[in-house]
Amino acid sequence: MNQPAIAVRGLRKAFGAKEAVAGIDLEIAAGSLAGLVGPNGAGKTTSLSMMTGLLRPDSGQILINGADVWADPPAAKAIIGVVTAEAKLFERLSGEELLEYAGRLRGMPTTDARSRTGQLLDVLDLTEDAKRLVADYSTGMRKKVALGCALIHNPSVLFLDEPLEGVDPVSADVIRRLLTRFAASGSTVLFSSHVMELVEQVCDHVSIIDKGRIVVSGTTAEVRGGKTLQQAFIDLVGTRATDEEVLSWLGSSSS
Amino acid sequence: MVGLLVQLKLRLLRNALRSSTAAKASFIISTILACVLAILVFAGLALLRGHSTAVALTSITFTVFAFGWLILPIFAFGLDSTLDPANLALYPLRTRPLVAGLLAASAAGAWPVANVIGLLGATVGLAHGAAGVLTAVVAVVLEVLFCITLARFVTTSMAGLLRSRRGKDFAAFLIVPIFALYEFFIQVVPKVASEGKITAATFSGIDSWMRWLPPGMAAHAIKDASDGDPSAALLRLALLALVIVVLGVLWIRALRRALVTADTSTQRSRVRASALPFARYGLRGTLAARFWIYQRREPTSLIYWLLTAVIMVAVSASSIVGQNKHPGVLLASAVFGAAFVGFFHANTVGLTGPPFLQEAFALSSRRELRAYFSGQNLALAVIAVPLLAAISLGLAAAAGHPASAPNGIAVDLAGLGAALAFSDIFTVVLAYPMVKRAGSPMRQAAQGYTSLGLLGVLGTLGGVAVAAAPVIVVAVLVSGHAAVRVPALLVSAAGYGIALAWAGVRIAARAAEQRLPELCQVAIRSTL
Repeated sequence: MNQPAIAVRGLRKAFGAKEAVAGIDLEIAAGSLAGLVGPNGAGKTTSLSMMTGLLRPDSGQILINGADVWADPPAAKAIIGVVTAEAKLFERLSGEELLEYAGRLRGMPTTDARSRTGQLLDVLDLTEDAKRLVADYSTGMRKKVALGCALIHNPSVLFLDEPLEGVDPVSADVIRRLLTRFAASGSTVLFSSHVMELVEQVCDHVSIIDKGRIVVSGTTAEVRGGKTLQQAFIDLVGTRATDEEVLSWLGSSSS
Repeated sequence: MVGLLVQLKLRLLRNALRSSTAAKASFIISTILACVLAILVFAGLALLRGHSTAVALTSITFTVFAFGWLILPIFAFGLDSTLDPANLALYPLRTRPLVAGLLAASAAGAWPVANVIGLLGATVGLAHGAAGVLTAVVAVVLEVLFCITLARFVTTSMAGLLRSRRGKDFAAFLIVPIFALYEFFIQVVPKVASEGKITAATFSGIDSWMRWLPPGMAAHAIKDASDGDPSAALLRLALLALVIVVLGVLWIRALRRALVTADTSTQRSRVRASALPFARYGLRGTLAARFWIYQRREPTSLIYWLLTAVIMVAVSASSIVGQNKHPGVLLASAVFGAAFVGFFHANTVGLTGPPFLQEAFALSSRRELRAYFSGQNLALAVIAVPLLAAISLGLAAAAGHPASAPNGIAVDLAGLGAALAFSDIFTVVLAYPMVKRAGSPMRQAAQGYTSLGLLGVLGTLGGVAVAAAPVIVVAVLVSGHAAVRVPALLVSAAGYGIALAWAGVRIAARAAEQRLPELCQVAIRSTL
């Protein structure tokens, strides 16, 4: 077995008294399209931030293709691409300028950066809007151009935080196909989401995180265990309010 | 509603204090400053007792405070952190109680209280007798109420202007004339005063029209009541109260509109450029290109340049309008111009906000971080050097000292180098999140970080002045044939400036290498 593309050991982070990530161990094989699912506040974004070098962990180790994110940031950062949850980008650049900028920041020669920019704009269906400012883009377009920025240097591992949040179905399809193709070529994708249907459709590996811990991790079929992923998730994480009597006043029939 | 919103404000404050020590320190400093202001203003007004210009000066003080309330929430460091009406838009609240609540919440805080206490100095300085003191108390309360209503009205109605992105961009420029006026008051007026051109007659002259403004009416009501004319005093107070009510009604209207108008920016605009400029010059060129584009397309950047120009002119204006045309003022102008370029960019990460992450993902080695800072410095210098030099030249000509222009330009160059160095270093060591509040065109330090922002301002101003001092000394002391002296002076000043900026880049990059994750967190917490 080759070394895993992403290896996380004993990852912890506390904000004051609140332990946001309480010891995560995770291994994702190269070429995998992995999903990290969990309820809001489970520690998805915090974990991804630490894996991508944005947030200093209290303890633990993260290896990307063997490069330690916190011991040797340049080596690890060179081989990852990241799309953050809000996809806040340089709004006063046009889509085209933004992609070229991302490529140049990664040290690509100008000609390569420009040709890849053109191709990415084409695949992402943004050619028509290439010269518009990102400030005037819709959420779907922002996510697409953010994905382009994260892919332009052809990373071996791609991290995405809620890639399809607030994205229209057409753009979502573009993003989904691009991710599948990227993983099929042998690169690795790890994304967080709470859209179970999406994870079930595209992921071959699923990890469920709750209250800062990985509850279960394995291939999608293992985690589902014959049920739908949605049901498996709810069984594992548990529904919070079960007593429906309490809300007897809710609904139009009562006063 | 009133109690609820005041409680909410106090709770927000308490939570902010609990969250970090920086917030705590900032709150304490801000409270101390408010106390100092209260004491100084109280003493100042109290000392006017028996003075012939007492009423004129009180009236002017009241007006200046109203003006301050108008200006500071817009461009300063978020002194008044009252609640954003947008947060309340979804609740089924009637506008009237909401207004009362927001007003009360605005009034709860160290600064408004300091205002009341400071202005109460008029009870000693201007008021005589029980009726006078009583009127003074009422007048001061009404005056502060007027200030708050005015400030709320103006900021809320500006929020209405800020609908589309273009509207927002355009409205942001309103800050420039306001700032120019403000600069006139703090730079030119004191200078003219020190030349003895401001006398008791001047105050009475100003007061002859200021007495008809609401703050002036408050001051004159105290005078009337003290002089045994209670009906005139009552009339003035009633007029003032009426103005407050009218402003309140206007504010309610503006608020009602602001609560239901959303951002509708759908306008399409295209850029002509087909590719990044100077991107072929490596990483530094790429970063310089990004900063350069932002200097042109980001209204805040354009405003910063205009404000720098206003500052330089304002500092020198006193010497141009005054009798005493001292060429040294030109050098002060240059120091201020350079220092403002520095402090406007002394928190690049907070100013860039979340997009900084995209850069942070790509930059990590010290060499790359040097490219980041030097790229920014290059983009700024390309604009700052010609701008500052042209203004210095223009000011020297206007002051009738064209020969001293090279001195000014030399100080520009040296000061600019120092300013860029300080801005790079402060960007790393004093990084703090910035927010853009609804109704305000300018970015401000996030709640709890005001004093860090202030530290950056004072540090840059002081640092640039100290760093430029050798050049000022050389420029003033060394004389010689112009054909030799001018080129030698300019070249050595430029060399000195470049050396300072170079050192700043190295120090900043070394520090940033260790603090990159922390800088990313600052960027994430900035909302722009």
